[in-house]
Amino acid sequence: MLAGGTDVVPWLRDEAIAPVALIDIKAIPDLHLITDLDGSLHLGALVTFSDLLASPHVAERYPILGEMGHLVASAGVRNRATLVGNICSAVPSCDAGPVLLAYEADVHIVGPQGARDVSIADWFRGPRATALQADEIVTGMTIHPPAKSHGAAFLKLSRYEGEDLAQANLAVVMTAAHRYRIAYGAVAATPLRASAIEQLLDGHALDVDRIAAAQQLVAGEISPITDMRATKEYREHMCRVMLERGLLAAQARLNGAGPAYPARLV
Amino acid sequence: MSELTYVGGRAPRIDGLDKVSGAAEFVDDIDFGPDLLHAEIVESPHPHARILGIDTAAAEALPGVVKVATGADFPFTFGVYMKDRYVFAQDRVRFVGEQVAAVVARTPQIAKRAAKLVEVTYEELPPILDPDAAIVADAELLHPDLADYPRVPWFFPHEHTNIAHWRKTRRGDAEVGFAEADVVLEDTYEVPRYAHCAIEPHVVVGKYDLAGRLTMWTSSQSPYTQRNVFAETLAPLGLTHQNIRVITPYVGGGFGGKAGVTMEILGAALATAVQGHPVKLRWTREQEFYNTYQRQGVRARLKIGAKRDGTITALEHTMHWDAGAYVEYGANVVNAAGLSATGPYRIDNVTIDSLCIYTNLPPGGPYRGFGYSEFHFGLESHITRLAHALGMDPVEFRRRNAISGGDTLPYGATMNASGLQEAIDRTAAAIDWGVTETSPDPNKRIGKGFALFWKAPAMPPNASSASFLKFNEDGSINITVSGMELGQGYLTVMAQIAAEVLAVPPHKIRVETPDTDRNPYEWQTVASHVTWSCGNAVHAAAVEAREKIFDTVHDAHGYEEGTLYLENEAVKCETDPDFELALADFVIDGIPMEDGTYRGGPIVGSGKFMPEFTSALSDPETSQGGHPNVHYTTGAAGIVLEIDIETGRMHVQKVALAVDVGRAINPTLIEGQITGGMLQGLATVLYEDMRFDEHGRLLNPNFTDYKIPTSLDTPDEMIPIIVEVAQPDGPFGARGVGEHTMIPAAPMVANAVEAALGLRITSMPITAEKVVLATIRART
Amino acid sequence: MKHEITLTVNGETLPVDVSPNDVLLDTLRTQVGVKSPKIGCERGDCGSCTVLLDGANVRSCLILAIEVDGHHITTVEGLSNDGLSALQEELIAASSFQCGFCAPGIVLVAAELLEHDPEPTRDQVREAISGNLCRCTGYDPIVDAVLALAEREGSDS
Repeated sequence: MLAGGTDVVPWLRDEAIAPVALIDIKAIPDLHLITDLDGSLHLGALVTFSDLLASPHVAERYPILGEMGHLVASAGVRNRATLVGNICSAVPSCDAGPVLLAYEADVHIVGPQGARDVSIADWFRGPRATALQADEIVTGMTIHPPAKSHGAAFLKLSRYEGEDLAQANLAVVMTAAHRYRIAYGAVAATPLRASAIEQLLDGHALDVDRIAAAQQLVAGEISPITDMRATKEYREHMCRVMLERGLLAAQARLNGAGPAYPARLV
Repeated sequence: MSELTYVGGRAPRIDGLDKVSGAAEFVDDIDFGPDLLHAEIVESPHPHARILGIDTAAAEALPGVVKVATGADFPFTFGVYMKDRYVFAQDRVRFVGEQVAAVVARTPQIAKRAAKLVEVTYEELPPILDPDAAIVADAELLHPDLADYPRVPWFFPHEHTNIAHWRKTRRGDAEVGFAEADVVLEDTYEVPRYAHCAIEPHVVVGKYDLAGRLTMWTSSQSPYTQRNVFAETLAPLGLTHQNIRVITPYVGGGFGGKAGVTMEILGAALATAVQGHPVKLRWTREQEFYNTYQRQGVRARLKIGAKRDGTITALEHTMHWDAGAYVEYGANVVNAAGLSATGPYRIDNVTIDSLCIYTNLPPGGPYRGFGYSEFHFGLESHITRLAHALGMDPVEFRRRNAISGGDTLPYGATMNASGLQEAIDRTAAAIDWGVTETSPDPNKRIGKGFALFWKAPAMPPNASSASFLKFNEDGSINITVSGMELGQGYLTVMAQIAAEVLAVPPHKIRVETPDTDRNPYEWQTVASHVTWSCGNAVHAAAVEAREKIFDTVHDAHGYEEGTLYLENEAVKCETDPDFELALADFVIDGIPMEDGTYRGGPIVGSGKFMPEFTSALSDPETSQGGHPNVHYTTGAAGIVLEIDIETGRMHVQKVALAVDVGRAINPTLIEGQITGGMLQGLATVLYEDMRFDEHGRLLNPNFTDYKIPTSLDTPDEMIPIIVEVAQPDGPFGARGVGEHTMIPAAPMVANAVEAALGLRITSMPITAEKVVLATIRART
Repeated sequence: MKHEITLTVNGETLPVDVSPNDVLLDTLRTQVGVKSPKIGCERGDCGSCTVLLDGANVRSCLILAIEVDGHHITTVEGLSNDGLSALQEELIAASSFQCGFCAPGIVLVAAELLEHDPEPTRDQVREAISGNLCRCTGYDPIVDAVLALAEREGSDS
């Protein structure tokens, strides 16, 4: 399937893939739509990162989608690359992963057997491996925020200010009722929810001690490796730093203050 | 001194229109018609291996393949300063990516597919990936025939070792100097390899026509040196300089990586194999990373002693260079460093050992700074540390020891006049040196760092430039030279020099890109020397043209040449204010006389420049007695660096850099070199990070994982400072600048990190990760 | 197998024969003959292949020619052929570029920015060109020229 093509075209040129046919899905009607479903958001499979950034509705109601979108690749790539493509390529450092996990998205799939939905929690199976079968196509995603009013932050650790793949990324979403959704990326085989940390924080307001306790749990939640982009040690340290910064920013934003979206918090 | 009209002014670049309109043509933009063939290289996957056999049958059989070539077809060595490199590997390969064979085919796709069908059988040999491993007693010899390689007489290879060249500089007695010192500081600094990353990759088109003439189109800094290497290397095929032509249009960045000859030799060789057809070889970005010159890595041991009063008494600097598989050019980097690795300081007792060591890694070579960027990291870090050990301010320590005109250089020659003290003072003022700054953010620290720099052009003693100049009917001028416009603004500077002499504005002067059939000789556009050297040649050509103009007017009108002058594109006379003759009226047509005859004719000029005082010969054990470097450009730089202590992330708030250019022919262009060069230097210390695996394979041959700066990575404030202490033998007093602006970046950052965090990091790059992990370790 | 597609390049509509695998960058350079988009990395990292596709900047090395059948492509030649744009005049007068290899891409994204936002901030200009790698200039002279133009045009209106 060819949508944005920002991964597929280089693979074709390198002869890393040799498909019998390439199906350009960009003409399929309605897949490019962003639809408000009153409390949730539907993104068609052809929604690009630029579409996301241009949507005032997304900016107002789901601001970390934009905070994440700004940090993906370059404008030239964002004008073509789709969120669905990002999660179908499913590299462990994909930026959409933690945000969609934190928003508990459902992935809508169509295949010869009919239509099915896969929760984002079950979507990522391993590096570059997803729940999608070879004869299926993703038609879109639905995003479920915890409440209309929520505070959130997306953080992306990279090697400098310019475009980069994440050494580690983090999405934090919290509500006034002290419900937390925290998801890390690039620090395990797939993006993951930090459920132990969420459990620790659940129902509680944030304070210095609670954040410190949450940071103690980081090492147990993630399994970073040392690769060309960062060492295990650095990733682990930074995941703790990012957690604190993310929680504080999300909390401040929930209360109508905090750094304006989109921010670079790390 | 009379006021200058064009020199010193901010003339807009004369190539700006070409580049901004899309008209500018680079080699890959040139169309060669349907007969153009395409080459693809077969590369070694091993860092060190014997080639047992190459089977080309399957590749040759693929429809559309015109020729498959191997080392057997071209058993020739080549090189600029030493001939240790092969067109195609012969009996063995010495780095991952080395060219072993090539396919020439009708389309790039066929060439690529056929290249995959070439089967090479290897016997792997243990690789040597570190220079110190290469010089242990029983290390395998990577170049057993080292002693037999033709080379320039000032290289000293050590037979039966992997030391391709050892430059020794000895002055005074370092032992005595250390004994006199009150403080002696010793440490080792590690500088890894770096990539040039010009945005235009290397590319070559070669056509060996049916008349036996080889024409090459290359993206090169050095068309004439390339022609020379092609002629020497392919002489066995009957080629000489006369039947080789090199054409170089605009070049999309060089930075040293397009000096000399690297992949272009393949284009030349393959062209001879497919006579009558043009053949193109274009490097991918990956090949650009692993099979062009890389900036060499170096492990530098420094020992410097000083007295309580701040006087440096002795310096010992030993550099072990990771020079790669072939050192034909890189050995001169090692040589240049070996002569000048004291830095811009007055030191009586000096011991420098600079060893060029073979490794099974890509060939090292020229990169902006030519050894000086590499050794200043350790040197300027060490100078600041020594100042602290003495309890002295690091800038004051530098002031006390800074070299000045008339002082003796490490190899015994005399230092040229330079504005180094002025550079120090103005830079220190620009960053409020001495004033400690604190951030309102409790997570951030601010530190200031300082560094001096110097560099001389590293050239053979007969490196020369020549220029032709002609007028046109409309009074415009064409200048032909073979220096390269790499982006530095060279064409504009040449135009401004001619403009000043001939009173024709720069926008009416074209400076043509090189064609070795038509443009006269230039050694290379390297070494930051063409403003000086070619500027002198252009100046001479303009002066010659001016003389002919005055002679013609004298012949026709009788005025004495001494009374004539040029102004606003016309000839005027001091003794006859009414006389004014527009150049356009006669520079082609001549001056009409009353009797219907004419005087004069086309006005042309020629000029050349070659320094006649420089010699590379000196005592091989001490380097004394020669005059290898024509002159030094010096300067100073300072940085204000903000560091997030939780993340290690460094943010450059302010950089000031002062450089003594002798005379700023065009201040805008110099500021461009300062801004661009400093950012390139900052990148090498902050985030560029070349990674090889244990098999010598480059893991990040792409921009995804080798990060070069974007517009988001620039310092908040860049303060360029131009110092002008004239270079007496330069055009209007100018000397070169181009490489110099990146040299102080790395040590300046290391010094700022120490100032902010109390942490001394002695290896590059100094990434956020390295800083934060070092901070954590220091706390525990 | 070749397909005939229709491309409008710099205002001119023309038929082009392409194979499904042909990358737009190569098609533009070798078949249409537009040379200003450059081959820098072929991975979408450097931006020197930038063209405007229906007015929005894209990496032409990441697009198959066949995907843009019926679409509009603008390159810097399209900005130059009716006389230079004010942006181009400014960049020339300021000597902003050095080797010029990145210039076509950067001119396009700056033009696109000014089209949408005639009075950008310094940060917005830096952000707009952040996807185009330049090894020579250090970017400031380019950003300064764009801002100078915006300020001048803003004060004129």
